[in-house]
Order: sequence, then structure tokens, then C-alpha cells
Amino acid sequence: MDERELAIAPIVGDSMQHNHRTISNIRSLTASLFGVAAGTLGLESYPGFIFYLVGTFIVSALIFALRMDGQPGKYFYRPLSEFWIGDVFGGAMSFILTWTLFFGIVQA
Amino acid sequence: MSFVSTILNAVGLIFLTHAVYSAHEHTALSSTSQSSASGTPANPASSLPLDIVIELLVAVVVLSIGIVLSSTPLKPIQWNKWAGAIEKNGRKENPYRILEERVGFWDVRS
Repeated sequence: MDERELAIAPIVGDSMQHNHRTISNIRSLTASLFGVAAGTLGLESYPGFIFYLVGTFIVSALIFALRMDGQPGKYFYRPLSEFWIGDVFGGAMSFILTWTLFFGIVQA
Repeated sequence: MSFVSTILNAVGLIFLTHAVYSAHEHTALSSTSQSSASGTPANPASSLPLDIVIELLVAVVVLSIGIVLSSTPLKPIQWNKWAGAIEKNGRKENPYRILEERVGFWDVRS
């Protein structure tokens, strides 16, 4: 059934790759930005990660509103698992990097 | 669109730099004055003034809006919409242009 659907309405692999690259670019940039904010605010352990999750969700909502015109199905094959949930921890490492750096600079 | 995102990024960066520098100065000042006064440094996170916190959060939101706006536009993944957009917007990005616009017949004598 799925295969037949793909045969009737084919999918452009180039565009999928381009969209994933664009989204992960945005995610790593904004994640390091949230790290700066969390370190400057002096958040520690769980509040810091909650801050990251909330920020990532805000960025997802911004992409949804500004870049997708409200139709994620046009740009992602499975919007829920590829866009809303799947890419959440893609920027976690850059977040922790700038979080610890700015905590050390500002608070220590 | 790119003009707006450039303005947003510049404003956000200025606010972010100012907020982080203010927080740094505030913690440096308060830690030295409090440790000299009472000997026990207070928790710096709770003593950060409200205006610095608000400035920092506003700067982060403005910068993330600017980053999202300055990213390259997404491309539709359904073949019919993708091909339709290419047909409408001109032939610059058509990957099959070399096949579609080749010379059909080459007149040797002219």
C-alpha cells in the first residue's frame, strides 16, 4: 500500500536532504544560543535541560509558522517523527558546550 | 525578508552581548561585595536582577526568529509540487535542463 502510494506520488530525495540539512543547521545554531542563555541565567541540572526542551519546541513552532506556512506534510515525509520529535536532541551537545562555558565565565 | 532577518540578528546580538556582560559584571561585583561583607557568597542565580533576565530572554527570542528567517527556504518533497514550482519559477534550478534545452539538430553547413 505504501509502495503503491509512493509510485503514484513520488518523493524528491534531493529536497528531503536539503530540508533536513536546513533544519539541523537552525537547530545547532539556536541550541548554542540557548546554551548561552542558560549559562548566563545560572541554571543547573534539570532546569537547564527543561530550558533546552522549551527552547527547542519554540524553535520548532517558529519553523512551523514562518518556513512551512503551517503544512509540515509538504516538506517532511513523516512530520511527527522527523520534525517535531526526531530532531530534538540534535543540538544537545552544542547546548551543553555553551551552557558550561558561559556558566563558567559568568557565574564562577 | 533577508533585510528583516539581518536587522533582527543585529539587534538580538547587541542585546545578548549587553545582557551577558551585565550579568558578568553583576555577579563579579556582588560576589566580591558579599564575600567581603558576610564571608559566605550567596547563590548568584537567584540574585540576578529581573531586567537582565528579561533582556536576555528577549534577545534569545529575537535572535532565534532572525535565525529561522535567514535560513534558506525549504523545498517541497512531493514530486508534482516540486516540479510545478520549478516550471513556474523559471528554469534556473531544473536538474534536467541539460536534457530539455539541448540542440535538437545541428546544421553542419551553416
